[in-house]
Amino acid sequence: MSFLGFGSRPQPTSAQKIAAAEQELEMVTDMFNRLTESCRKKCLPTDYREGELNKGESVCLDRCVGKFFEVNMKISEFMQSQQQNAMAGGGSGRIGGFGA
Amino acid sequence: MKDFMTMYSNLVQNCFNDCINDFTSKAVSAKENSCVTNCATKFMKASERLGMRFQEANAAMMQGGGAPGK
Repeated sequence: MSFLGFGSRPQPTSAQKIAAAEQELEMVTDMFNRLTESCRKKCLPTDYREGELNKGESVCLDRCVGKFFEVNMKISEFMQSQQQNAMAGGGSGRIGGFGA
Repeated sequence: MKDFMTMYSNLVQNCFNDCINDFTSKAVSAKENSCVTNCATKFMKASERLGMRFQEANAAMMQGGGAPGK
């Protein structure tokens, strides 16, 4: 039986799902653009003597992507632990966790 | 379309900044010209490669050790 009367369970509507997917796509695109900018700055020398990527540059780009992702994960873990600490230690009473 | 325009203006700005530093003449010199061509070619190749690696890494992250705390 439903405790919430007419509210029932909050099922995400298809409009909400689309909005979430759009937001995620935007995040991924933004991340890709930032990655491109950083890795190009770090891996491609600016004298452009040739149009081809040479071996060193290619390897540098590959590693750059890997490291960018790793840093991304590290920071995400760090932020999560910070948030958990703030919730555990910040208030004396326990407040219902957000997200978690 | 918006992404394409962003990429285009980025490309112009980056290659201009990296290749054009001498304003003693009004015309784009042959050296500057080849620098710009190489810059644009290399930029596209790098984007392509980065895109491929990005997709791989993203897919690996999604199904593999993605976000332990969910």
